[in-house]
Amino acid sequence: MPAATPALPVSDHSRPGWKAWALLAPMVFWLLVFVVIPGIILFVYSFCERDEVGGVIFNFSFDNYRRVFDPVYLRIFARSIGYAGLTTVICVVIGYPVAYYIGRASEELRNRLLLLVMVPFWTSFLIRTYAWITILKQEGMLNSFLAAMNLGIGPFNLLYTPTAVVIGLVYAYLPFMILPIYGSAEKLDNSLIEAAYDLGAGPIRAFSSVIVPLTMPGIAAGTLLVFVPAIGMFAITDLMGGAKVPMIGNVIQNQFLQARDWPFGAALGVIFMLMFALTYVILQRRGSRSTA
Amino acid sequence: MIEIRGVTKRFGAFTAVDNVSLTVNAGEFITLLGPSGCGKTTLLRLLAGFETPDEGAVLLDGVDVSHEPPYRRSVNQVFQSYALFPHMTVKDNVGFGLRMQNVPTAEAEGRIRDALATVSLAEQADKLPHQMSGGQRQRVALARALVCRPKVLLLDEPLSALDAKLRHGMQLELKHLQRKLGLTFVFVTHDQEEALTMSDRIAIINKGKIEQLGDATEIYHRPRTPFAADFIGQANLLAATIILRKGATATVRLESGLELVVACTDLPASATKALVSIRPEKIHIGRVPAVAENVFQAKIEEEIFQGATDQLRLITDQGTKLHALVANESATQVAFHEGDRVYCSLHLDDIVIVQAE
Amino acid sequence: MKTLKALLLALSALLGTARLTAADEVNLFGWSEYIPQEVLDGFTSETGIKVNFETYASNEELLSKLVAGGGAYDIVQPSDYTAEVMIRRGMLAPLDPAKLPNLRNIGAQFRSLPHDPQGKFTVPYMTGTVGIVVNTEKVKDPIKGYKDVFKEKFKDRLVVLNDNREIVTWALYSLGLSINDITPASLAKARPVVANWVKLVKVFDSDSPKTALLNGDVDIGVVWSGEAALLWNENKKFHYVLPAEGAHMFVDTLCIPASAKNKDAAHKLIDYIMRPEVSKIISDKFPYTNPNLAARKLLTPEQLANPASYPASNTARTFRDIGTAAADIDKLVTDLKSAQ
Repeated sequence: MPAATPALPVSDHSRPGWKAWALLAPMVFWLLVFVVIPGIILFVYSFCERDEVGGVIFNFSFDNYRRVFDPVYLRIFARSIGYAGLTTVICVVIGYPVAYYIGRASEELRNRLLLLVMVPFWTSFLIRTYAWITILKQEGMLNSFLAAMNLGIGPFNLLYTPTAVVIGLVYAYLPFMILPIYGSAEKLDNSLIEAAYDLGAGPIRAFSSVIVPLTMPGIAAGTLLVFVPAIGMFAITDLMGGAKVPMIGNVIQNQFLQARDWPFGAALGVIFMLMFALTYVILQRRGSRSTA
Repeated sequence: MIEIRGVTKRFGAFTAVDNVSLTVNAGEFITLLGPSGCGKTTLLRLLAGFETPDEGAVLLDGVDVSHEPPYRRSVNQVFQSYALFPHMTVKDNVGFGLRMQNVPTAEAEGRIRDALATVSLAEQADKLPHQMSGGQRQRVALARALVCRPKVLLLDEPLSALDAKLRHGMQLELKHLQRKLGLTFVFVTHDQEEALTMSDRIAIINKGKIEQLGDATEIYHRPRTPFAADFIGQANLLAATIILRKGATATVRLESGLELVVACTDLPASATKALVSIRPEKIHIGRVPAVAENVFQAKIEEEIFQGATDQLRLITDQGTKLHALVANESATQVAFHEGDRVYCSLHLDDIVIVQAE
Repeated sequence: MKTLKALLLALSALLGTARLTAADEVNLFGWSEYIPQEVLDGFTSETGIKVNFETYASNEELLSKLVAGGGAYDIVQPSDYTAEVMIRRGMLAPLDPAKLPNLRNIGAQFRSLPHDPQGKFTVPYMTGTVGIVVNTEKVKDPIKGYKDVFKEKFKDRLVVLNDNREIVTWALYSLGLSINDITPASLAKARPVVANWVKLVKVFDSDSPKTALLNGDVDIGVVWSGEAALLWNENKKFHYVLPAEGAHMFVDTLCIPASAKNKDAAHKLIDYIMRPEVSKIISDKFPYTNPNLAARKLLTPEQLANPASYPASNTARTFRDIGTAAADIDKLVTDLKSAQ
């Protein structure tokens, strides 16, 4: 048997043996218990009906999906996608230069800067969001600062506006954009950039025609990590947006915590997961095309 | 064409290039040869524009370009790792420089086709770099640089990643191409054989300085320094005392007492000690003495068959140890064996004084 | 072999604790930020009964947990309309008055409310109202009811509860319609009113609506009376008004689930909470309307003068369970909010 192994390297790679399965077992178990089974429950519930108390009655119908496509909810989906899209774009614009700089920095500096990117995660997300409230509120730090500087600008009425929501979303998700782009930038072979310069590309054209395409996998991964969760985010819209404009995350949350309509919430959740899968497939396709 | 004037480049406390001056003529194939870390690549990067000199200047066609960025210099480089853009096809890689110079599409198409034909890759235009072999990638890198019609082509160890056989093929091909197109090549390598095969002139670089500059035969036959003698080919380096001078010749005595007559042209008058270099293949070995200025007897200590040659380790009757190479001219030739006593014959021109004081 | 023995030992230890639970522990499932830990500690040191305290943030969370069969609780703390459903569905055990001598401290007006007319299943914990709080430094107009609040001139100066049923209730009150008899017709009438109102609101917040008022981001709120009472304690410029058109009163109760294991200890804890000196501790910390009249006698004149805790006249009514109409209300408000 051992003698035959080198002759069949392909089958060795494609099918994990029992040892590989043993190593994978904790992850498989985790996925099964916390992803697959809840996913199946969600899927089954989405075809059921609610009862008076909020229990689930197994009465199969497509009613919940019909409701998802009611203009009320479609408009909310569209708005959520809009906010998430804007957030993603701003995260790329702000995050790319930072990530690129970190990726190209010396190893010592790089590790320090990466630590700085992670530092916010040491504090609870809610506490950080409340910190933004104290900055942005009417009598908050930003307006006090502007008043003290006497610049003639402000006070700004930022808290509980869409701007505050976008600020909160960008703040929350920026590290998830920076880290994958950093990963790509760090791997970028310096001689490729030199080759571009050597062949007559100035900094801008070297950036657009070599650096960006080669860091595209990082941008795609970052987009996936920012765009999809941003669609479903509800805490920031509640806390910083004053819960004025519901996002799809708020609607789903309401079905479980206020309206006692789990099946409808499940149907919204299923559609949300499908959107995630779709985004993933699209980005994956583009990614594989640009780095094949 | 290219003039390097007293250029120095430091990285912190380390001096990578130390007051180097060098002129490269148009149409010339010049090789910067040296061990790794000697500063040859830094010198190349100074020409390309990836580094700026701390002192001195780099002139291209008489214009000081020391502080011009790489994209404003009409030189192009072939990188050691080829640095092909992995997201572009062969055609797009080759056309990159033309796009950056905004060459009209029709003209660019033609030039790309010609460049690919030159490196015999016309059929592979639509492949991606990772679908090609190492040798093919090498050619793409070459075509990508050539298509820009650079005044000087810089090559940074372009053949080091290829296997021996392919490397030999490419050496000849590159040399042929350079002659055919009449281009100026600055070639960096640590492989002395490669340097000897391809170059019009070789600059041997050690510790940031040029040790010796000359054509291949001169470098090989008349090394000027112990480093040059040792780095190029093989050499027996032997310490000696100068005991007699007569015109263009001198007699030296080795530590063992063996006396040799050597040619000397620019030996300082005050010199009493010298280091002499003898190439192994220049020692003629025979059962009978040959006609030469120096003839002495030795015993074969070890014999190693190397295909085209036999390597012999000798010890002279006086006790000097020498390496010698003997051509294996025919299978029926009577081979030398360990323990044989032989005559060594050496022409005075084949003993070079590489250091004297 | 050793491992197996250790496992068996651990298992028997676990079973041992499980038996202990039944004897001197009581499992309480209550609202977060509502029962002072001090009260529970006092109970434990007096009786030796350990209190396992879990919390929830909404009646719906409580219901779904009980419906799903999770957790073996001995005491729960539903609001009026939720208690009503639970009684109807047989989820609550009847209380034994003999074990609750302190029941006499509770005011009669709180003992026979619509959700439990005979007071057989629930005792009131705290009650409160939803009313209007006004920053009188910023707002000089007289504010008496919803129609004074939801005006164009107060656009972006309002905070209201982020609770869809509340908003619809206020609209129904302002139209003079029943707040507990939700029909498609009454919702259709409420719709344009709610549509106008949501456009005027700056912040929807149920968790801490006082924050926006304190921060100066808004000047008027329609909020829980407890929040208003805290604002009044902070600064007397915050006045509390019960809306003239009618207000929602809520009664949070203590009751024992039918499935409770330790009903005896549960009765003991409920009775302990109804002691005047214990109930006073709760009032000190959470200034809602205390239904415990004996406890009220222990409060300071200032506490009793807080108009949010003890409004002059209270004509407010409690919510009744509206079943699946909750979903219609949710959709209505979601629609109107997102239409902005």
